Amino acid sequence: MMAASLSSKVVLAQQQTGGQVAPATPPQTGLAPTPAPPAPGPVPWMSGLDNLKPPALGEITADMVAVTETRFFTGLQMATLRHLCDLLVPPWGKYPGALEAGAPEFLDFLIGASPLDRQQLFQGGLDRLDRESNEHFHKAFAALAPAEADTLIRPWLRTWMTDHPPTEPYARFINLAHADIRTATINSQAWAQAADAQSRGEALYWFPVDPDLRRKLTSAPGLAPNA
Amino acid sequence: MPDSKPDSKVDVLIIGSGHSGGMAAKVLCEQGISCLMLNAGPIVDVQKDTETRPAYSLPYRGFKEPGRLPHVFQSNEFNANTWVDEQEVPYTYAADQPYNWVRVRLFGGRSLFWSRQSFRLSDYEFKAKSHDGFGEDWPISLADLAPYYARVEEIFRVQGKTEGLPQYPDGNFVPDDGAWCGAMERLSAAGRKASIPVCRQRRSLGRDGLASSVNLLLPDAVRTGKLQAIPNVVVRQLTTDRNTGLVNEVHFVDRLSRREMSVKARVVVLAAGTLESTRLLLNSGLANSSGVLGHYLVDQVYGAGIVCSVPEARNGKSTDALMDGGALIPRFRNLGKPAKDFLRGYALNVYSSTHAMDPRNFATYGADLQQKLASYHGSGLSMGIMGEVLPRYENHVSINKDVVDAWGIPVLHIAASYTDNEKNLTRDAVDTSIELAESAGFEVLSKNYEPNPPGYSIHELGTCRMGNDAKTSVLNPWGQSHDIRNLVVVDGSSFVSGGWQNPTMTITALAMRAAEHLAEQMRQGAV
Ligand SMILES: Cc1cc2nc3c(=O)[nH]c(=O)nc-3n(C[C@H](O)[C@H](O)[C@H](O)COP(=O)(O)OP(=O)(O)OC[C@H]3O[C@@H](n4cnc5c(N)ncnc54)[C@H](O)[C@@H]3O)c2cc1C
Repeated sequence: MMAASLSSKVVLAQQQTGGQVAPATPPQTGLAPTPAPPAPGPVPWMSGLDNLKPPALGEITADMVAVTETRFFTGLQMATLRHLCDLLVPPWGKYPGALEAGAPEFLDFLIGASPLDRQQLFQGGLDRLDRESNEHFHKAFAALAPAEADTLIRPWLRTWMTDHPPTEPYARFINLAHADIRTATINSQAWAQAADAQSRGEALYWFPVDPDLRRKLTSAPGLAPNA
Repeated sequence: MPDSKPDSKVDVLIIGSGHSGGMAAKVLCEQGISCLMLNAGPIVDVQKDTETRPAYSLPYRGFKEPGRLPHVFQSNEFNANTWVDEQEVPYTYAADQPYNWVRVRLFGGRSLFWSRQSFRLSDYEFKAKSHDGFGEDWPISLADLAPYYARVEEIFRVQGKTEGLPQYPDGNFVPDDGAWCGAMERLSAAGRKASIPVCRQRRSLGRDGLASSVNLLLPDAVRTGKLQAIPNVVVRQLTTDRNTGLVNEVHFVDRLSRREMSVKARVVVLAAGTLESTRLLLNSGLANSSGVLGHYLVDQVYGAGIVCSVPEARNGKSTDALMDGGALIPRFRNLGKPAKDFLRGYALNVYSSTHAMDPRNFATYGADLQQKLASYHGSGLSMGIMGEVLPRYENHVSINKDVVDAWGIPVLHIAASYTDNEKNLTRDAVDTSIELAESAGFEVLSKNYEPNPPGYSIHELGTCRMGNDAKTSVLNPWGQSHDIRNLVVVDGSSFVSGGWQNPTMTITALAMRAAEHLAEQMRQGAV
């Protein structure tokens, strides 16, 4: 087991060959070792940019106008997830519910981008919800009345402390799905718009600090933790 | 033209810029000794590097980026860029021995982010073997370190209350004599009934809200004109003079360009953080005549505990006077009568808050959950373990030659696990927490008996332990290598045992003591 990829050395070797980049502006002194080639046009490329302020474009987040295209869960799983979202986190007072917050679609994206064990937990859990619904009520979970669905959900609810969700897989699914649906809702733009300033989910975000650009290259995309 | 290969030797080369490196630099520079500090990461400019943002504007809506930093439970999408990336600097472990190694390489290291709980070790820790026969005593006692603790506490402005308990030694505190919140008074009364002392927390106030190397230690070193620092250089190896056996050169790689460089030094001070200093020594093949380098790794048991609710604070009745507070229950087991199935002990961290409670404390959903959250708002109180881990030879780190980091430096393999002793004291901690909470009239909502993986506490200690005997220890009582007298280790790797106490005051006091001793030896020409 390891905490990360084995391949740093290999990737590093590939990175050692790279093109030279010409400076954007000609050097100021005759002592510079390699004068930059002249710009291939009447005006140096970067001319005028030193005074540019970021333009006020009135930018918005995509969630305000666009829907997330679901790609990961099957149609049936998605229908089950939507109904689960509606039951677990319905609208509350001025706050949107999970459906209004786009939580199911966001989770399709998030779980689809996640390591395999989390994907399987969700897929297996959604499938089981629907299977039990068919066994007990002869209809899809998405079509269950709240009281019917409650008989399938409530027995699995647990109290648990941070970093220690239930270990039994199905209880784990029900409780982690609940937590993830709430987070996807409370952290949504729809929620922030309804909330007052203190509960808008704002915090100090750290940009990459003087990033080593090779980080992204050394991490194979989708690498499972401890692979 | 200046010579492109400077041949001047640095007086003292310090590797690392956190609490330990910062303290070494401050002490040495103030004594007139020139220092060069090398640090693996960049200097932070909070104005440039941070921005207040809503969660929805981040790519993963405030969820942790999938697959990133799986062993840093403390990370989230807001702070992910501050931790050492596990893919850039990997480490390995056996499948059944997961380890959470939580690192920061920014200039200032973990001192930028620590939670500032500030404690002294007591002689129950320094002289642990004399109390229960297990392991080794430290070669020093509280009396040896007390003067240094006092000076460190002054620099960090540690706030605390004098309690007069031998297992919770008092210090040079900014007095904490204000009113305690009602919930803590109630817990304290419950503690008295059970003969368990419930005390005030102790924490570093620092200056301007920060208690880091960058604002409390390094400025003093810079002011002397004796400190030079190079950020973004990763030290890969130390080498020695063939004739003298003394360390004389440090080899490093530029983090961004990958240019390999080296610098000569009269003395090398290792302050790279517990396991990184040991990794450097193992990779250099130095300072291990004892064979114990890398061994006796400890940390503290975290993650087990309870969450409860104070009934009187529910339904809109929560006030600061009732609920805004914290307490520390210092170790109370095995001070006199031995506990039935474990050695040593644990402390309990207690916090109460006037804020919202976490929904996972309620096994319900939908409108019912919202009503519960509204009714329980501001009534939450948590108790969590900080448990001692026994120093065992088997818990150790070694070099994994098959895996390298982003700079081609072989990585650490970490082999650490908890034994029945840690498991038994954890169970006792949770059971005792429940008894105390119920005796105080609190409702216990959630409990967890399962410790977090080793390393989670971010208090990894040992692997380069100090001692009087060069056959059984790596460092002498001043942090100097038994084998190489101009090599000094000032971070937490010198610990002989870890206790329950958050270690930073001890690390920093030991660094101060080691640096003063080194300065004296340099003056005498002994180093
Ligand atoms: C979130 C959090 C909360 C904490 N809370 C507490 C608390 O409440 N109380 C407490 O006592 N402690 C706490 N700690 C632990 C505390 O931060 C550490 O004990 C302490 O800061 C360690 O200091 P250090 O100087 O030994 O190591 P570090 O701070 O880790 O510094 C090591 C430095 O060495 C550098 N380095 C590493 N390898 C190399 C290399 N190869 N070449 C060059 N440079 C290198 C790194 O860049 C780093 O800056 C907490 C830590 C964290 C992260």
